[in-house]
Amino acid sequence: MKLLINQQPFETSSDPQDMLLWVLRDELGLTGSKFGCGAGICGACTVHVDNVAVRSCITPIAAVEGKAITTIEGLSSLDTLHPVQQAFLDAQVPQCAWCMSGQMMTAAAFLQENPNPTPDDIETAMSNNYCRCGCYARIRIAVAQAAKAQVG
Amino acid sequence: MPKNKRRWRVSRRGFLIGLGVTGAGLALGWRFGLPALHLGIAKGLDNASAPGRIKTEPQAWLEIQPDNTVMLHMPKVEMGQGIHTALAQIAAEELELSWEQIRVVSAPTTHILDSFGTTGSSTISSLFTPLREAAATMRDMLQSKAASLWSIEKSQAIAMNGEFFQQQSPSTQLSYAEIIKQNNSEWVIPKEKPVLKPISEYRLIGQDMPRVDLPSKLTGQAIYGYDVKVDGMLYGAVARPPSFNAKLKSAKAGQATDIAGVQVVIEEGFAGVVADTRTKARKAVELLELEWETGDVFQQADLEKLVTVNPNQGTVIQREGNVKKNLKENIITAEYRTPFAAHAHLEPQAALVDVQADKVIAIVATQMQNYVRNALADFLKRDKETIEVTAPFLGGGFGRKAGDDVAVEAARLSKAVGKPVHVGWTRKEEFQNGYVRPASHHVLKASLGSDGKIQALEHQQASGKVAFGFLPGFVEWMMGADFGAWRGATLHYNGIAHRQATAQVIDLPLRTGWWRGLGLLPNIFAIESFMDELAAASNQDPLQFRLNHLSDSGFGQRMKGVLQTAAEKAGWGNPVAGHALGIACCTDVKTTVAQVAEVSIENNQLRIHKITCAIDPGLVINPDGVKAQTQGAIVMGLSSTLKEALTIKDSQIASSNFDTYPLLTLKETPEIEVIILQSGEEPFGMGEPPIGPIAACVANAVFALTGQRLRELPLRLG
Repeated sequence: MKLLINQQPFETSSDPQDMLLWVLRDELGLTGSKFGCGAGICGACTVHVDNVAVRSCITPIAAVEGKAITTIEGLSSLDTLHPVQQAFLDAQVPQCAWCMSGQMMTAAAFLQENPNPTPDDIETAMSNNYCRCGCYARIRIAVAQAAKAQVG
Repeated sequence: MPKNKRRWRVSRRGFLIGLGVTGAGLALGWRFGLPALHLGIAKGLDNASAPGRIKTEPQAWLEIQPDNTVMLHMPKVEMGQGIHTALAQIAAEELELSWEQIRVVSAPTTHILDSFGTTGSSTISSLFTPLREAAATMRDMLQSKAASLWSIEKSQAIAMNGEFFQQQSPSTQLSYAEIIKQNNSEWVIPKEKPVLKPISEYRLIGQDMPRVDLPSKLTGQAIYGYDVKVDGMLYGAVARPPSFNAKLKSAKAGQATDIAGVQVVIEEGFAGVVADTRTKARKAVELLELEWETGDVFQQADLEKLVTVNPNQGTVIQREGNVKKNLKENIITAEYRTPFAAHAHLEPQAALVDVQADKVIAIVATQMQNYVRNALADFLKRDKETIEVTAPFLGGGFGRKAGDDVAVEAARLSKAVGKPVHVGWTRKEEFQNGYVRPASHHVLKASLGSDGKIQALEHQQASGKVAFGFLPGFVEWMMGADFGAWRGATLHYNGIAHRQATAQVIDLPLRTGWWRGLGLLPNIFAIESFMDELAAASNQDPLQFRLNHLSDSGFGQRMKGVLQTAAEKAGWGNPVAGHALGIACCTDVKTTVAQVAEVSIENNQLRIHKITCAIDPGLVINPDGVKAQTQGAIVMGLSSTLKEALTIKDSQIASSNFDTYPLLTLKETPEIEVIILQSGEEPFGMGEPPIGPIAACVANAVFALTGQRLRELPLRLG
């Protein structure tokens, strides 16, 4: 099966029903997408499929064949951070950071969809990703900041 | 993994000195908890090579590289608490480095003596002085060499930003790396300890320095225990019992081996599989044919009954004055309960272990490399010296990455198949097959005088094991009370003459253990709720009531400082209409902390608007780091206060994922204001103390708002 990941074509021999997360992590070595629950609840595995935030731990690769998949490794080029990454850095958001790829992928897709969010919009959009270290107060600040930076 | 193939020699001050592998670098290392005897030997040996019994491998070392960057190699584990950054600040301060020059690296720990691991909020408080001394010693050695290369007085060579310049001629400069390159005489560690900088001269300590680990974490490049890979590795999965007291009776491969590339490993009491992908291993383990011998059936009510204070048992852990004699008149009493709770760190247990013929390489998501190494040595019957354990970044620890289970599983599978094997747990395994925060029960009693002051105060608590499950049985017998379970259980109001606390260890049929702060949140919930009840019973302001029972100097003053600051910033006595405030405080690892919760009820739901926290952690290395730890502990503690409880059904933990054990979300997180008060000249513990007061301050605010006294966690409005 052919997958398009971070604009690179990739051929996998995995079972079409295997979950995207494990193909990304164990076959491609893209370990930036994290495993947290395997049930699509915590959000640590969030990637973009055709610019939409998707939980890769419950997404079989058959469902994403031929679609554009973006992981945290492809969110920006290595020398320029995406505005969301920059805002997370500026606000010194992460602690352990296991959830942070998912947080940033969720925020990036949300801001693309909604470039001028209200604080309430941010609360709703970012309340489906867990952070056990408790960085929520800083995530709020960073997502609002990223929105501002993107609108420019 | 960088190999530490350098020759080290011991100096009289116990430091280890070594030249870099390239021959161009210089390294200075030290060992944690080097036994006094060894230090004594080292003292008599100035710069001679060590006798055979001293392991001349450092556990932590500073190394100046040819490009003039400095690596701080550290076995203390970065799991989000920001210690790599704070340690870099401390080292760069005394070694006179620019911030850009220093890097922190996770050290492989072949000869660990650091038996405490990264636990107990102790990294910064325990390393503050040794690390400054090592860095200052290195700076001093470089200064001597610079002076000798220039033929000037030592005091004329001034260190700044990783270089020396001549005081008489500031444009004459030599970088540390150039000094090392040009030096052709032996490196000598000075006999006297170097003079350390006074606080007034700190450039980096006390500043909001950005976290050194964030750039790699924000781009997905950082490697955690679940992420590690080596060539030829396989993935393992382990069969799990249907209940916490079931034992494996028999196992057969069944259809598991129908999946290509799957190998089945069946040993006494163990069944598992390995495969070339994790997905295959997980599928295959479900296909094993297993028979289990089940034990007694326990339900939630059985365990709650077990965790109940027996007034005739328990070990006295605090005795001031004479409670028995003074707890007589106007006795007020109340009971509190806290539930079993999960750690819910988002990176599950993970280990990659390669059992080779003559050595074992283990990369483990652990806070306790030494404990893991000992467990591997015991299990594999190998010499400890042949086992190397390295901890990469951890995706949260919170006390759960202090076990040995996943590493032993990976070692067992690796030994069986002769390949490196990675085992990474599922969320279900995390919920059901690890250890959890024990449930607790608390009985508080006080005698209140007619002057409104507490005459005598008693706390009796019962809890499942915290530390005891990890210690040899004879230690339990000697100690009587589990120091983990009673953390926070002693009564800190030093204005009360008669105080007593007892702790009772409850043997439970499921594994319980370390959880952030150990007994701190449960014990402080009980004690600080009860203080509020006493204030209410005598019609006193809860803040003033607390202040009235603390001394005016020393500890009492530091506790009063945080109480008054938090209260003032939260608008104590003046809540917004429809809102109410509650206060609580605690002390832990010498830090004092007070929190005020502002709550209301909207649509019959409790809403937390704001938590105001004042904290005094002694000397602060990184204020923003202290704030982050405080914010995080408050969020984790609030989640415990409002949402979390594990229940038991048919001898099994009923939750297997977050659908039945939800955590606090961003939407439910209140505004958090953190005020740092600094005192003294040394840092105290930071990762755990602010989780102490949170449940009590919220419960106390609920009482202020509704008159309902909630004595069980999680809090449920009646």
